[in-house]
Amino acid sequence: MIPVSREERHWFLKNVARALLDFSGASEPPVPVEDVLDHPPAVYQEDFGVVDMYSNLWDATFARPPGQRGSIFVRVDLDPEERRFALARETLCAMITSKHGRDLGMPDLLMSELKDSAEYFATHYVAPELLVQAYRAQGGDEENFAESFQLPAGVAAARW
Amino acid sequence: MSMQALNQLVARSIVDPTVVQAFRSGRIGDVLDELEFTPDMRAQLEGIESDSWAEFAVISYRYVKAAEMPAPRIDLPSPVEGLFPTERTQSDQGQVA
Repeated sequence: MIPVSREERHWFLKNVARALLDFSGASEPPVPVEDVLDHPPAVYQEDFGVVDMYSNLWDATFARPPGQRGSIFVRVDLDPEERRFALARETLCAMITSKHGRDLGMPDLLMSELKDSAEYFATHYVAPELLVQAYRAQGGDEENFAESFQLPAGVAAARW
Repeated sequence: MSMQALNQLVARSIVDPTVVQAFRSGRIGDVLDELEFTPDMRAQLEGIESDSWAEFAVISYRYVKAAEMPAPRIDLPSPVEGLFPTERTQSDQGQVA
């Protein structure tokens, strides 16, 4: 893989987020992150699953048991906003390690900067540029941004 | 326009396996024909050699971005600069005791 700048990686990730947004058919916030995991694009049928769990270790993590469908294991007691963001973040991990993600060459592009990639992807998946622009054009303000897009406060502040 | 087309292409490839299949079998030109690339850009993209689709996408991004950047403008000083007296500022004016 050729050396890739952060800006180029982020551009690619915005298109990954856009692909899932287009697939979801959402034209206004909030983006239905969990619906896409429940009813994924055909190429991710074996990779998108959600399993609630009791844990104090992580908010969510993706795992693919050998020979089985991959799933995001998510803490059952998270706030809805934290849950959406954690699921969005782990969606990228599911895609990177899927057969289709490997066919695309996503591991070589994204694995070395996985944390930054997953956070950036999640931020642009739950608050896509098109929907944020439309929200601003309609007079939406920062105060109601987190609530409209159902974002954790810290994510909303950084994204605004 | 080409950047919009490239964004469409990359987003489509994320959920549509036919794009990467076309790329792997050397038929990416067929997919490029469906999008609004200029003929020059289309030819450049079709000629990219890369190890993976993700690498192809990044190299394409470089080409399209370079093509869409405005040509650099060089601001040379006017040839008449210095020939005419300029307004003198207060600090230029000598003090006569």
